[in-house]
Amino acid sequence: MVRDDTTGPIVQIRRRVKARAEQIFDLWTQPDLMARWMSPYPGAVDCKASCDLRPGGAFSLVMSSGESSRVVSGSYVEIDRPRKLVFTWMGPLTNNVNTLVTVELNPRGDETDLVLTHERLPTQAIHEGHTRGWAHILDHLAAAISNDV
Amino acid sequence: MTEIRARKESASRAARIDAVFAALADPTRRAIIERLSRGEARVTEVAEPFHMSLNAVSKHIRVLEASGVIERQRKGRDHILSINTSSLDEADGWIERMRCYWEERLDAMERLLRELNKDRKLGPKDRKKDRKHGSR
Repeated sequence: MVRDDTTGPIVQIRRRVKARAEQIFDLWTQPDLMARWMSPYPGAVDCKASCDLRPGGAFSLVMSSGESSRVVSGSYVEIDRPRKLVFTWMGPLTNNVNTLVTVELNPRGDETDLVLTHERLPTQAIHEGHTRGWAHILDHLAAAISNDV
Repeated sequence: MTEIRARKESASRAARIDAVFAALADPTRRAIIERLSRGEARVTEVAEPFHMSLNAVSKHIRVLEASGVIERQRKGRDHILSINTSSLDEADGWIERMRCYWEERLDAMERLLRELNKDRKLGPKDRKKDRKHGSR
């Protein structure tokens, strides 16, 4: 799928998961479940999740350990349980710039094919500095996607 | 104040990486980079294999230059292009970091799924493996 506002897909991961799509979808969208696996800091870390599950609604994950805390936040772009979830995402790992994550869940009997795509959203500098090249880049974005940049 | 400066640096770094990704999103530009990865070349040499005008290829070259992916040196009448590998390394680092992050998250997600489902579906050997991830 081609979106008209990203700099292209950067990371794409596919996995066959031994669970039903509905259950996986809930893991991504229910705060009490999110808190149990989304934190990248194992042990000792207190992870609190909150989310307002509707298009435009915000979510946040606050992970604290001792005195330091890290926040990952974003907002929902598309919610289509159990097939698809699209949300913006920013945190320390993205240098606090906005990125876009798409999770697609395709049921295969009792299992599910999960496809996660993580894209960068262009910052203002790109709009200002590359406006002419931009239209052309978009023309070729579909090809870039199939080549898995 | 230092925090503001750090934030500015981080923002310009992000913009720089964005520009690199935007440059890489085009197949012609990837082909140009591939050509230059085998060694520096004149603009005309770079343009030769493409079925498009020199002007069209030049536009792609300018986008690559603006993103910092390639550099241009003038030697007499020739314009010599070469790759600036550090800009690509930076983008590559970002990709690698994100891939690693998501692989780990998905591992954790699958562990939680096994834990949640062990009483319903899975056999005894899965049960033992998941004990250390007991609910908090």
